[in-house]
Amino acid sequence: MATAGIRRAGLALTILGLAGLVLVYWLSFFWVSTEMTQGVAQRIFYVHVPAAWTSFLAFGLAALTSGMYLWLRDDRLDRAAVCAAEGGMVFATIMLTTGPLWGKIAWGTFWTWEPRLTFTLLMWFIFLGYFMVRSSTEDPEKGKRFAAVVAIVGALDIPFIHLSVVWFRSLHPQPVVLKPEGPTLPGDMLTLLLTSLTVFTVLFFGLFLLRYALEGLRSRVELSARATV
Amino acid sequence: MSLYLDQIRVIVWKDLLLELRTRERIAAMGAFAVLAAVLFAFAIDTSVVRPQDVAAGLIWMTMVFGGLLGVGRTFHLEAQDGAMLGLLTSPAPKDAVFLGKTIANFALLFMISLLVLGVFMLFFSVELGPSPLVLVLVLALGALGFVALGTLFAAVSSGTTMGETLLPILIFPLLLPMVIYGAGATSRLMAARPVAEVEGNVRMLGAFAVMAVAVGAMLFRFVVED
Amino acid sequence: MSTAGVADASLRAGISVATPVLEARGLVREYGPVVAVNAIDLSLGEGEFLTVFGPNGAGKSSLLGMLGGALRPTRGEVAIRGRPLVYDAVAWRASIGILSHRGYLYPQLTAAENLRFYGRLFGLADLDGLVAERLERVGLATRANERAGRLSHGMRQRLALARALLHDPDVVLLDEPYTGLDPSAAGVLRDVLAELRDGRRTVVMVTHNLGEGLELATRVAIQVSGRFAWQGSVGEVERASFEHHYHQVVEGRV
Repeated sequence: MATAGIRRAGLALTILGLAGLVLVYWLSFFWVSTEMTQGVAQRIFYVHVPAAWTSFLAFGLAALTSGMYLWLRDDRLDRAAVCAAEGGMVFATIMLTTGPLWGKIAWGTFWTWEPRLTFTLLMWFIFLGYFMVRSSTEDPEKGKRFAAVVAIVGALDIPFIHLSVVWFRSLHPQPVVLKPEGPTLPGDMLTLLLTSLTVFTVLFFGLFLLRYALEGLRSRVELSARATV
Repeated sequence: MSLYLDQIRVIVWKDLLLELRTRERIAAMGAFAVLAAVLFAFAIDTSVVRPQDVAAGLIWMTMVFGGLLGVGRTFHLEAQDGAMLGLLTSPAPKDAVFLGKTIANFALLFMISLLVLGVFMLFFSVELGPSPLVLVLVLALGALGFVALGTLFAAVSSGTTMGETLLPILIFPLLLPMVIYGAGATSRLMAARPVAEVEGNVRMLGAFAVMAVAVGAMLFRFVVED
Repeated sequence: MSTAGVADASLRAGISVATPVLEARGLVREYGPVVAVNAIDLSLGEGEFLTVFGPNGAGKSSLLGMLGGALRPTRGEVAIRGRPLVYDAVAWRASIGILSHRGYLYPQLTAAENLRFYGRLFGLADLDGLVAERLERVGLATRANERAGRLSHGMRQRLALARALLHDPDVVLLDEPYTGLDPSAAGVLRDVLAELRDGRRTVVMVTHNLGEGLELATRVAIQVSGRFAWQGSVGEVERASFEHHYHQVVEGRV
């Protein structure tokens, strides 16, 4: 297996991603225009939103590879799912910690039930269930299958969660933590948002590949340890 | 096909007969339903909040917790004497086993949810509203979605060292849509709002239930295989 | 690879059935890093009765589990009359009956209800008559309406055997059936099992009990650490010296 190649690609992407992240931070502080109603605190938007979207991407990847794992039983697919889930949980944690921080500064309130926050919170817990189930079986193969089931059911529930939260919110207007969201986003903000999104995705895949290579190495070590018994 | 249906039927029969003879789960769920309502009645300060405002939400949460009690023990019947292997090595397809157990669990939870409804009507002085059948339908659809997910993940948690304590962690995030749509519809119906207002909720609950049952049936085999 | 003796090879050549009834090729079962069954081959014709002896942890139950479709083989395959068994399929399960020391019974259902339940799962016709007849055959006709949990251990084993044979399977797998039985109950079980030597069925029994295991067998194997350390026909085996031979094999001196 071309583990070294994967690791190098992962390293390259991660370095690129981190460099991009520095750029994004700089741009958020110094280049992009200030939003009218929310002021300077709104700039966290360019980190906060891409972190959320990246965690959703990770979740989707985890669910997809989990499904394929159950079908094809290739351990590499399971490894990919674990790495995606780890990455997703990390980015979700970032989003859930920056969100309330910003909410407090911008609105004086730590938490609101706005869709993206709620969604990410639930997804974080599904990730938690994924890892808990994986590590609490006696037979590790069972743990992999159980975790795959958690990921798949979670992914299928996502549309329902989204729709229900949006419906709930339409009845209970909350302070809008993240604006602007729609097509009203002016030029430079949109550019920065898209740039940030790209950077986060690159960073995620970089970390994912590094982690995947590590898992590959670990399983190889286990296999050779077994062979010497 | 008829063998398949008969296999499901006999599993439902077996589960319900065993429940009738041991009365384990129904007693626990029933007692919980009533006691929870009692505690809730005292926990709500009626000088600050109108009971009718919170009844719907509390009904659904009582259903969820009570349901957890029942669904968590779904596979205990088979745990004695290794009967699960007896089921799995029989010609009954694994999705038939899942469907049989889910239907039996549904029968149990549906009865309990009617009890919960009745008890809350009594303690919280709420009315059924002008469309009681729709209200019952809402409860039924919610119960179905719940037991489908619950049965699948009860099999998962039974196979872990943490056992039933893992079950709420696994299903609570997934139950959010059911609680939102179910409690929303219930409070509207109890407030005598027109049925047309809750149509969307009922449809979503139905879709959720269908998804849960289908996904459960398809994934169950990966959970119980060895 | 099992150390099949010359005697065993000639025995195989002597089997007259065209396709063996029960075959296993390269069966492997791993639990994570632990290899419980390490490439076992098996070939049994109609009417044969194989007893597998072995110490705890030899992987005997895992072997039987794979033969019976309770466990998915990590590698290798099982075939009945030449057709490979797919773990995910269900139709072939009607050809196999399993008696485990764990019974597979529901304690709160009566003996008759237990049999009816499995009868319907297997899609059997005329259940009333069938159940009555089978209970009669294992000597439990008078206990038909007693809850399985109230039966003595020996009676429960007989009920479990009735359950295993309810659908008249070609292949019967017995996992430590004598466990926990006192001598008289064991005797009753032996009588009932003796009926399996009717020439039509193929039986694999796993047991600790050297005496009972040899009684009914036509073939014998000793499983140690996931492999067949020794295989032979019962004719080769001197019952008197078998215990000694067994210990020699298990301790690796053969």
